[in-house]
Amino acid sequence: MFIQVLSYGIMIGAIYGLVGSGLALMFGVMKYLNIAHGTFIMLGGYASYWLFTLWGLDPFKSIPLVLLIMFTMGIVVYKIVFSPLVKVFHVGERIQNSMLITFGLLLIIDNTVTWLWTSDVRSITTSYTGSTFRLYSVNLPYNSLIGFGLALLALLCLHLIINNTYYGKSIRATTQDWEGATLMGINVDYTYLISSGVTFALSGVAGIVIATSYSITPSGGLEWLLKAMIVLVLAGEGKTKGILAAGLFLGVVEAVGVSLVGSAYREVFGLLAFILVLLFRPQGLFTER
Amino acid sequence: MLEIKNIDVYYGDLQALWDVSVNIAKGEIVTLIGSNGAGKSTLLKTISGLLKPRKGSILFEEVELDKLPAYKTVELGIAMVPEGRKIFTEMSVHENLELGAFTREARKEKNKTAEWVYEIFPILKERTRQKAGTLSGGEQQMLAIGRGLMSLPKLLIIDEMSLGLAPVIVQEIAAILKKINKTKGTSIFLVEQNVQMVLALADRGYIIENGRIVREGKTDALLNSESVRNAYLGI
Repeated sequence: MFIQVLSYGIMIGAIYGLVGSGLALMFGVMKYLNIAHGTFIMLGGYASYWLFTLWGLDPFKSIPLVLLIMFTMGIVVYKIVFSPLVKVFHVGERIQNSMLITFGLLLIIDNTVTWLWTSDVRSITTSYTGSTFRLYSVNLPYNSLIGFGLALLALLCLHLIINNTYYGKSIRATTQDWEGATLMGINVDYTYLISSGVTFALSGVAGIVIATSYSITPSGGLEWLLKAMIVLVLAGEGKTKGILAAGLFLGVVEAVGVSLVGSAYREVFGLLAFILVLLFRPQGLFTER
Repeated sequence: MLEIKNIDVYYGDLQALWDVSVNIAKGEIVTLIGSNGAGKSTLLKTISGLLKPRKGSILFEEVELDKLPAYKTVELGIAMVPEGRKIFTEMSVHENLELGAFTREARKEKNKTAEWVYEIFPILKERTRQKAGTLSGGEQQMLAIGRGLMSLPKLLIIDEMSLGLAPVIVQEIAAILKKINKTKGTSIFLVEQNVQMVLALADRGYIIENGRIVREGKTDALLNSESVRNAYLGI
């Protein structure tokens, strides 16, 4: 029984990590706190949903297409909405302004999606939805397993890119000191642009996983934004490993809480853990120093 | 090689530089001396493109620097060792050096240049895997200079090199700079408050006060001039 609870916690925890990684990437590199992060995840989910419903494309086979759509969206949103903020150098001001701007974006997208596609709760139901895989006495739904694998794979890719490529180096340098990065010949604006695209692509993967294992609604993004923020704070200043660990931690705490008291208290346990960490380890659970 | 012609620079509405002109020829070591707030760092930020002049121009080998985005100046051959060093403290010494060779040209020579930098600053070789933030002040300055050299610059600009360093270490770094200038022909522009050290090292100097160049000339002449001795050397 406990193992079953733990496995649920771990599987959703990896998704929390994935959801948190996009928020953390944009916040780390650009110092933008993207309130619309969850909303873009929903858009990724909708992209996958419509490809499935209209064209019958399997949600896991349409991943490259959704990634492309979301990456492009990231570039466009950066060019139109995010790039003017680059001129604000003061970090605090940048965070505040980005919150305002992205909150406006969230309202616009929420309402547009509701208007276009109604506020119905939707999820992708494939032929294998609901079937499970039995490992000893533990039931593992196929969808969740694939979602878990996808989340891990996406985080692994992000980790490898950040640590082993020139783009990753420019990201890390810009995160630490954008002026210093510029003096090295790094085009900070371009780094921001690509980071925005990558963030949105990560949202796309998260959207697919959520649309297949859970459900999407126009305003469902806020719930996931909350998770992403908790993960961001738990992880402390961003290493990808810390993000995954924070996601798993949150997932397991919630799952154990739910099994003890009932699913109505899911959020409460997550937030309790969040507050405790803020009280006793404000620098984050997984930071060195 | 670097020609700064009559530039005015502002922070918003606040003017910080008036009609400043500075020339640096190939292979020269030139210094800019001034007290706090005289406009030294403003001038450097303008050269590296982080600030743009409202009047005047900056030419580097006939290219108009002030028309280019900041990150392009490195490609042209200008390396800046900024005040406060701005090394990437969370990365290893070696990663910092690699970032110095970010431009396409420098990337090709990366390993060779790194070997050369380790040769000049052997202490960096011992610390190669250490996080840059754990280095001592002198080692961090050496790393910042080494990182600047990684881009294979024609002009190396160093802001407040001696700040917070023991005199012995300043002497050591000064000797190394002299050697680099001799063997590689790299021009060096030193912006300093430590006048004695810098006048001994440089060929020519400029003195900046309240955003204006008030004096320029050969370092011997500056060293012997009454006003410089009074104002900066305290003798």
